[in-house]
Amino acid sequence: MNRIADVVVVGGGIIGCSVAYYLAKKGVKVIVIEKKKGLSFGASGANQGGCALQLFHPPILELARPSLEIYRNLSQEIGYDVDYENTGSLVCSVDEEQYPDMQKHVEKKRRQGINVQLIEGDRLRELEPTLGGDVVAGVEEQEGGIMNPFKVNYGFAYAARKLGTEFFLSREVKKIERDKNRITSVVTDREKIGTNFVVNAAGAWASQIGKMVGISIPVRPRRGQIIVTERLPLNKRWRYILDADYLTTAFDLAAVEKSEDPRIRLGVAGSYVQENTGNWTIGSSRDFADYTTRVTMQTIRYLAKRAARFMPKLKSVNSIRLFAGLRPFCYVDGLPILSRLNSPRNFVIATGHAGEGVTLAPITGKLISELITEKTTSISIDAFAFSRFKGLN
Amino acid sequence: MHKRVHDIICRCEEITEREIRGAIRQFNLRTADEVKRLTRAGMGLCQGRTCALLVEKIISEETNRKVSEIFPSSTRPPVRPIKIEFLAKKEEKES
Repeated sequence: MNRIADVVVVGGGIIGCSVAYYLAKKGVKVIVIEKKKGLSFGASGANQGGCALQLFHPPILELARPSLEIYRNLSQEIGYDVDYENTGSLVCSVDEEQYPDMQKHVEKKRRQGINVQLIEGDRLRELEPTLGGDVVAGVEEQEGGIMNPFKVNYGFAYAARKLGTEFFLSREVKKIERDKNRITSVVTDREKIGTNFVVNAAGAWASQIGKMVGISIPVRPRRGQIIVTERLPLNKRWRYILDADYLTTAFDLAAVEKSEDPRIRLGVAGSYVQENTGNWTIGSSRDFADYTTRVTMQTIRYLAKRAARFMPKLKSVNSIRLFAGLRPFCYVDGLPILSRLNSPRNFVIATGHAGEGVTLAPITGKLISELITEKTTSISIDAFAFSRFKGLN
Repeated sequence: MHKRVHDIICRCEEITEREIRGAIRQFNLRTADEVKRLTRAGMGLCQGRTCALLVEKIISEETNRKVSEIFPSSTRPPVRPIKIEFLAKKEEKES
């Protein structure tokens, strides 16, 4: 069967659905192709759903800030409640030696215009009695928030569908046909779709789509494992708590690979989010295991051990589910790829968001829609251009 | 909204049949995993061990397919709830 679309989006994750929504809002006819039976089956459906603004550095910070802005009113905009809550975040440490890193972090964040404050351990425990005696100090930031990633993903899809977007599920892209400079159609296992643009939002699978147009996209799956607990009463002040390892090792691939500490080598840095239901999700980890989404006992043990130090109360709490997901990780520099190619010139890449896909989904959709329908984007995306991988292509 | 007890499909999370059918229609859901993610049916302490078959039956009715054609919800460890302190413990066999 032959079909026609203005834009074919490959991937029904949070990025693909956001792109579809912002395009549909401009009157563009979009078809989203997803190989799984439903949406949100990759990294979008296997994360903790939070944006701790204080963790981001430029150039990602320049996208995270406006994305968070969009989140504040997203539920009203798309007509579906995505459970966004302005919880702020707390980055804290159980290691005296990290104290200078936290002081430096505070200075740096203030220069970037993020309102943060350093709070000593005893004061932290007064404000939040669930924090353990080992916690030395913490840095609070009030702009960040948490949201339900499934609801954001399906909310964008719901709003896009109302605007005429079609979703083709259980479809695999088999071939991308082109003439000299442009893609002409996308061939799936069931139909051929003639199109003016293709957006590659295939996440951890994006390099496979890239190959179909003869380019090498340096993105590979990076596994993250998560523990979910039963419900607990809501914390008083902080429901998004992070390990200060985020400031030193978690975002640094070299630090993770060089470390002598087996926990750091598995990329374990505590990230604790209490959902509005009271369940805690305990993360985070990062390792390369091809496309395996199994959990490993070694990583789960480190996650559990670390959680018990930050919040000893969690020790006697039941875990009800363990799972893993695959982040699309750009192994050249860890940054997203938001870019329109020169050849084929109607091929657009929107992936490589690593652990920031949920945070960056709204702004990514908005900017990619601008990239396709207008000549420029409202925020510069030069830092995320595909042309930075000169040696690879 | 007042929930009638006999309408509840997922007892752990107290999710009603009406909520499940509503989500399937609103979002064109086809799988038990999607229903779980959007309604929380099967996300509670028993992880769907009680309600999974009922949810699959509802999806089959809503989508005019046989129950055997409905993609079942993914099962993940642990088989039963297990305390975080036990997960944190090193097994004795290990060095």
